[in-house]
Amino acid sequence: MSYMGQARPGLHNRRLVAGRGRFTADVERPNACWMALARTPHASARILEIDTSEAEAVPGVVKILLGEELARETRPLTASYNPERGGGKRLSFHALSVDHVHFVGQPVAAVVATDRHAAHLACERIVVDYEQEPVVTDAVEALEPDAPVVIPEWEDNLVYRTEYNQGDVAAGLAEASGTVSGSFKTQRYLSSPIEPRSYLADFDPYEEMLTVWSSTQMPHPARGTLSRCLGLPETSIRVVQGDVGGGFGTKSPGSSEEILVAYLSHQLQRPVRWVEERQEYFLSCGHARETLFEFDAGFTDDGRLLALDIRVTGDVGSPTGLAWVQSYVTAYCLPCAYKVPNCRVRLHSVATNKCGWAGYRGFGKETATQAMDRILDRVADATGIDRLEVRLRNFIPPDEFPYSQVSGAMLDSGDYPTAMRRLAEMVDRDAFRAEQEAARQEGRHLGLGFAFELTPEGCSMPHNPVLQGYDGATVRVGPSGRVTVLTGVTSPGSGNETGIAQIVADALGVRFDDVRVIQGDTDTCPYGLGNFSSRSLMIGGSAALEAANELRDKLFRVAGNALEVAEEDLVSEDGEIRVKGSPDRSIPIRKVASMIYTNAFGREALEVEPGLESTRYFRVGNVYHQPETQGRFSAYPTWPYMACAAVVEVDPTTGLVKVVRYYGVHDCGTVINPMLVEGNLHGGIAQGLGGALYEDLVYDENGQLLTTTFMDYTLPTAVEMPAEVITEHQVTPTEATPLGTKGAGESGIAGPISAIASAIEDAFPDLDLELMEMPLQPERVWQAIQAAQNQGAEDPGAQGAARPGASAR
Amino acid sequence: MTSKVALRVTVNGSKYEREVPSRQLLADFLREDLGLTGTQLGCEQGVCGSCTVMLDGDSVRSCLLLAAQVDGAEIVTVEGLAQEDGALHPIQRAFWEHHGLQCGFCTPGMMITALDLIAKLPLAEGSPELDQKIREGIAGNLCRCTGYQNIVAAVRAAAAKMSGQAEAEAGSTDSRESAP
Ligand code: FES
Ligand code: FES
Repeated sequence: MSYMGQARPGLHNRRLVAGRGRFTADVERPNACWMALARTPHASARILEIDTSEAEAVPGVVKILLGEELARETRPLTASYNPERGGGKRLSFHALSVDHVHFVGQPVAAVVATDRHAAHLACERIVVDYEQEPVVTDAVEALEPDAPVVIPEWEDNLVYRTEYNQGDVAAGLAEASGTVSGSFKTQRYLSSPIEPRSYLADFDPYEEMLTVWSSTQMPHPARGTLSRCLGLPETSIRVVQGDVGGGFGTKSPGSSEEILVAYLSHQLQRPVRWVEERQEYFLSCGHARETLFEFDAGFTDDGRLLALDIRVTGDVGSPTGLAWVQSYVTAYCLPCAYKVPNCRVRLHSVATNKCGWAGYRGFGKETATQAMDRILDRVADATGIDRLEVRLRNFIPPDEFPYSQVSGAMLDSGDYPTAMRRLAEMVDRDAFRAEQEAARQEGRHLGLGFAFELTPEGCSMPHNPVLQGYDGATVRVGPSGRVTVLTGVTSPGSGNETGIAQIVADALGVRFDDVRVIQGDTDTCPYGLGNFSSRSLMIGGSAALEAANELRDKLFRVAGNALEVAEEDLVSEDGEIRVKGSPDRSIPIRKVASMIYTNAFGREALEVEPGLESTRYFRVGNVYHQPETQGRFSAYPTWPYMACAAVVEVDPTTGLVKVVRYYGVHDCGTVINPMLVEGNLHGGIAQGLGGALYEDLVYDENGQLLTTTFMDYTLPTAVEMPAEVITEHQVTPTEATPLGTKGAGESGIAGPISAIASAIEDAFPDLDLELMEMPLQPERVWQAIQAAQNQGAEDPGAQGAARPGASAR
Repeated sequence: MTSKVALRVTVNGSKYEREVPSRQLLADFLREDLGLTGTQLGCEQGVCGSCTVMLDGDSVRSCLLLAAQVDGAEIVTVEGLAQEDGALHPIQRAFWEHHGLQCGFCTPGMMITALDLIAKLPLAEGSPELDQKIREGIAGNLCRCTGYQNIVAAVRAAAAKMSGQAEAEAGSTDSRESAP
């Protein structure tokens, strides 16, 4: 029996439904103090003076830490991919600002007190004298020569710029039989795990050991960051990951609060904890996405892209947010799944006086996909070619993989046209058009839209302490034949531990229930990079496979001696090693393990090394970091994708959009656990739907964030989700991993943005509706409908007449 | 200094008599004083629903109540759902089997809300409105991981199971499996 391919609920879920979660905020330490942070109310200001006298008088206050001490005693946080490396600005900051603040919510002082209320009260009593400075909250304005500069030491706000070229874009545009130009803008939004961040540090001066319980996705990199900032050896730091209540990229190392808690515990020699408040999360944890695309696309009469000139402006906010690199990834992925002979991509990553970026599922790839989808819909409309057909005509053909994209990204494998055609079958467009027509008779507006997301996974960047395409796993078969797997990858709820157990059970031929997986503790698990970029099953699972294979060979060797057959004639299943073709000749794995552990000098086990433990590191294929031989570097080993369709109903009187159905044909290579993959897709689609219709971080012109609760920053609830999310899998295995697995954790999130926008346009075939700014909240949709209607009224020739392409759709 | 109030409360069947600070939240009382950390705090703004507990048969947000307000009441938290021998309640089993959770942080609050819903809105199995009613019933609980589809499936399955059990066990003194 094979466990791989089986649908199985997560290994920890029984414990979690029992209410026995061990989230970091649930961990108790005797005499733990609470940390609270005083945060600035200004978007840009010079700190003149900080008066802590009243705060110190609050009973229970143990320490007040200011930026000066921290800057003196610790090293700054730096971005794992520093723009300086590519000729941009150097990003290097302390967790508490010393003399200048750049965004509302930036911490200026930390208070440690014996209880939470005292810590908060003391924060309120810290008096900071500020001199306010001019603010810039728009990335385009921030690039103007006279714009206020976000970081006083900088000359301008350009964090990073780069350009990728292929062919001759000017010639391509000139040659094209038609062109479309315009812009597309995604709003600023954020990942919003329901578990707030939480850290608890406890320094033991006698052992010289700092233990940090952390709601982190990456325990080993977190340990590395702490070690570097605090100047403690890595062997004096243990990071223990609690259960993580959702990460989505946000719970990455380098958070100010994690450093502060660790520093304060070390200094005070007692436990210090911090649990994030939701308002703090919105203000300061880290935002993502806000990107402007300006494009000129040239195409042939039959809708093939000849040239694309695209300028990407990422508003990365305060560069104290270290995940600016998401804007780099956006540019790196363009033009995604499409073959464009002449292409130029220009990126500007720009600082503004808003919260900086933190990683968020999609990590920049989603915005690239969305831009391409919207551009292709414009090409379809301009040429009169069906929107789905336009994608088919521009896809990279399946026989051209591996395919080197404009940036040098090497796309490993895929069959995009087959996925898109299967999607068309699932959607049944003829049936939908009939449904749409019938609804129209009742005055209801239904629309159908398409998207094609490409979500490269397993990121590996040169000279990067975090983003590396390898990981480690230890597999241990005990004397009783039970199996323990320790991994360097971790799970923030995505369930990779379950998939890894399935892989190991199959490789060894043991029962699934006999495998236990341990993750997230730097003292017990092999070094690894943790969870990001959907790498855990694909890379961590491959390391576990290799370790398990090594042990299986050893078990077979000893079993062969016991059964007096050659190892090649053995198979293992269900806890037994059997002779092929003679099912009655077998030996239980537990017996073989026992021979190795309890009879090391016996005939069967004498020729093998005692013990049954293997640690292997797996380096993923299809990553190229040698620009001298490759020309450009290739960071992503696997390129999963999903063809998506949304059916929406729009109320033109209010602009309210309801997603009625959502379809996807998804390819993440070999599927180890379809239940977990589908669960991931559902979650990704929900987050994408939130980004399409509801979620928006709104700043006023003074840099004040107006959305700081779940009341005004609205996540989709069960009611907003369509009654039907229908997904199917197509399997195009990759050669980059031994089982053909690709990443699946970020899939689903990109498609809804463009599919829903496309579907809303489709709901009004008589109007020239172009939705190129997100999110599509009712007000924006209503205004767009009004504007298109007025435009139609002014131009009677256009009224009622289908715009080019509308009839063909 | 903070004043204290006397509090008598039954939580998961056990009776407690405590002195609590007058401004202590019910959530903090449960988590910190009683060590019942299964109830989670996702926002402390009354929006996410992860802190939901059962108070005298109604689901409530324990971040919006003071401990002092529940004097004399009976409270059930996620820890009170399974039987003493550890056997899971049908709602827990359904969430587990239907993959109605990923990170599990929203799950305790989501299950309590679902139990309240199942108890108050009995809908016939197979009724076309069933899913919509479930969706509306859990719309006050945010989940960022699952997209809700499997949660709806879990609640539907638990409702069917519990109504079946309620019928089978009619007259039985142990009502634990049918409703907390
Ligand atoms: S924590 Fe109570 S509603 Fe969010
Ligand atoms: S399972 Fe993670 S928030 Fe619901």
